[in-house]
Amino acid sequence: MKKIFLSLLIVFAVVLFFNACEDRSDLTAPAPLNGKSGNADLTKYVAIGNSLTAGYQSGTLFYSAQIYAFPYLIAKQAGVEMTGLKVSDPGLGGRLEIKSLSPFTLYTNPNAGSPMNLSLPAPYQNLGVPGALAYDVLFATNKDNCASAVFAGTPNPYFDLVLRNSALNIGTQLQQALAQNPTLITLWIGNNDVLGYATSGGTAPSAPTNATQFQQLFGGICNGISQAGKQAVVANIPNVSAIPFFTTVGPQIALSTPWYQLAPQGVVGLVYQKTGGTIGVADSVSLLTGTNLVTLRGSSYAPLLGQPTGKFYRDNGLAIPIGIDTTKPFGFHPQNPWPNSLILDTDEIQIANQAVANYNSIIASTAANFNFAVVDINSVFNQIRQNDFTGGTVYNGVTFRTTFVTGGLFSLDGVHPTNQGQAIIANEFIKVINNKYNAQFPLIDVSTIPGSLIFAGKINYQNGYPILPPEVFKHLLF
Amino acid sequence: MKKIFTYLLVVLGLSSSALYAGGFQLNEHGAKAVAMGGAFTAVSNDPSAVYWNGAGLSFLRGTHFMLSTHAIQPKSSFRGVLPNVDEYKLIDQTFFPTNFFASHYINDQWAVGFGFTVPFGLGTKWDDEWVGRYLAVETELQVLTLSPVVSFRPFDELAISAGFVYSFANVLIERKNPQTPFTGDALIKLEGDDKSAFGYNLGLMYKPIDKLTFGISYHSQIEYDFEGTATSTGAQQLIDAKRLPMGDIKAKLTTPFNLAFGVAYQALDNLLLSADFQLVGWSSYDTLAVDFVDPNYTDVASPRMYEDSFILRFGLDYQFNQELSLQGGIYFDKNPVPNEYLNPSLPETDRLGFSIGAEYKFFNNLALRGSYLFIRGSELRIENSKEYYSGNSGFNGVYNTFANVFSLSLLYSL
Repeated sequence: MKKIFLSLLIVFAVVLFFNACEDRSDLTAPAPLNGKSGNADLTKYVAIGNSLTAGYQSGTLFYSAQIYAFPYLIAKQAGVEMTGLKVSDPGLGGRLEIKSLSPFTLYTNPNAGSPMNLSLPAPYQNLGVPGALAYDVLFATNKDNCASAVFAGTPNPYFDLVLRNSALNIGTQLQQALAQNPTLITLWIGNNDVLGYATSGGTAPSAPTNATQFQQLFGGICNGISQAGKQAVVANIPNVSAIPFFTTVGPQIALSTPWYQLAPQGVVGLVYQKTGGTIGVADSVSLLTGTNLVTLRGSSYAPLLGQPTGKFYRDNGLAIPIGIDTTKPFGFHPQNPWPNSLILDTDEIQIANQAVANYNSIIASTAANFNFAVVDINSVFNQIRQNDFTGGTVYNGVTFRTTFVTGGLFSLDGVHPTNQGQAIIANEFIKVINNKYNAQFPLIDVSTIPGSLIFAGKINYQNGYPILPPEVFKHLLF
Repeated sequence: MKKIFTYLLVVLGLSSSALYAGGFQLNEHGAKAVAMGGAFTAVSNDPSAVYWNGAGLSFLRGTHFMLSTHAIQPKSSFRGVLPNVDEYKLIDQTFFPTNFFASHYINDQWAVGFGFTVPFGLGTKWDDEWVGRYLAVETELQVLTLSPVVSFRPFDELAISAGFVYSFANVLIERKNPQTPFTGDALIKLEGDDKSAFGYNLGLMYKPIDKLTFGISYHSQIEYDFEGTATSTGAQQLIDAKRLPMGDIKAKLTTPFNLAFGVAYQALDNLLLSADFQLVGWSSYDTLAVDFVDPNYTDVASPRMYEDSFILRFGLDYQFNQELSLQGGIYFDKNPVPNEYLNPSLPETDRLGFSIGAEYKFFNNLALRGSYLFIRGSELRIENSKEYYSGNSGFNGVYNTFANVFSLSLLYSL
């Protein structure tokens, strides 16, 4: 009997022993791509561009957000490292943060971080320079010979920080890119050639880069790349009128102004100053539908509509122009009109849209000439903008709109994408690269990319408009 | 601009934490029952009959007290999210559910018993930065019951019992929520308790012949009305705008019924064999709903879709000599959670339990029992998860689980 029991016990112990050993199945991680897939080679990937390429967000360039710039995301998906200028949080000054959500209040972080890796003894692979124009890619080597310095007297310090020619002495963005013997270049330039015009309400500069010049510049860049025997993937320019910098304040003015009370006094819309000094009127329907676009800078002054004020001129250190009477109701009287620099009116929208259309056809034909693939970012953003009115656009289960802050696509400056916006852009590049080079780089799961709109402390607000202190936009570079 | 924020929603899928589940149910009520793989419904020959089968009290002469404690160490790992295979491990925790039973034989017809038990008392804790943090960080459920039982033996061969169950419970769920498009994560903590919930149990024991016993035991569902609070640690702006949950919450939960059929056979003079089939009514758990008292917050509900499950148990008790007896057992516990709803707050898989134990009688009226139970969860690979750790990305991966359970009981008879 005891034998029976003991043998039972032994059997039991053996079973227990074998089950205690972990019979874990072997799982294999996906094989590292190391930059290569199909005919695509991203082992030395270099990006030429502007603030979008640099990962500029919420009015500055700061580490925790710039590491999600689309070139870095592409590199990560391809399994390669990518160098670039990194600036510690909160960036090089002027980062926009949220003081309060309801009411919505912004604030400018007064602190600044500093560049983290200026001494890298080689050109950066991410050669995105905030503020760069097409001109700059070919000609700018430092802050004093970039387009903004040469044509507007405003040196752009980012050229020194990214190009570092005092140490490297290699030259322009294009020269630095080619000096690295890149296996692939992404080129996204031209946004600022129209954005500067548009965001200044068509005042500074007074026109977008003209199409002939753009053709020469863009053609020159592509020719340079091609002459060096290199391949590029180029992206086109999104329509400016679909970004929250232009679409936020106008509808708010249209909806929150008591037009029916003003009508008997002869006020039928926002009375604004047109380029050339004449007076225009933007009625509420045009503000609502975007036929006239009030810039985000205008949110500081929209609460003052109807008041006798010259605050705009005081804030910006401007002399009160001849013919302006600041005792008249602001924005509702021809003698105290809404300032020209805060509105992109129908005529100016026409000019900006025409410029974008011209650039994009130039980009398409130039790319075709050199057999470069084109990322049609413009169509993607137009589609997203269209979907705003039918429930938004869903990526990986997350719904996006082009609306300010709530839409999830644009950062607090209303122009530059959030981290997730950057991921959507990166995916568009990856799709084109995969298609062009028969590659299979994986797309990014947009939902796993962290948010990037930063919260600050709390302050007060006024009249339902976001409080955007005028200095908020001091650092705005595109 | 204000308007814009009326439709800003930092969507809080509070929904996805499993509030309790099979793995949180404890069947550890006394070292001997554990040692016999829980095949105790037709055995129930000690005061723990109060839990296992109250009718057993009618076959237990004298007055007995039993105090037991158990040390339970659950271990789980997750590898994923597929196609990645990074491994994450549950933070080590040891749980010490303790129970106490008393039984008294009044006469050949009547017997009474009393029990303090912990039918649910486990939890899980993951690192708060791990990949599944939006699904689970810390989850804990504790249910304590006080239960008087009376047993009646109308015939020599048959006894029936009924018991009343007074229960109090508390629950903690902690997990993170992304604040996207804003930076950072918010930590969401839900805590609640129910100080009075009621249930009942029924038992039957039938001995057609001396060597053979049949037992049936039924534990009713218990409905809990949890009341508690939600607290969020995140951006003050989101809290002010009521985008993160704060304040009083309510949640209803129903723990499943348990229906067990047992048979015990005295194969030899010193060898008792037993087997149980236990049905667990997990389908009571189809939705988890959390209601906010403040109407500014949207109530949440999420499908859990648990299925009824079962446990199959086998045990033996071998009388080595006058002082020493040895037990062994084995059981299979079917996972009640459909794969697509498996949540890391409770990594459920089909499980096998292997147990051994011993009883030593120091004196006629004092015995010490000890047992060791090893629980082995079958490896579970999930590829169709509807638990979204981010956006609409399912939490696919491979779970491995096991647990060590050490039990100690002290039995004292008057």
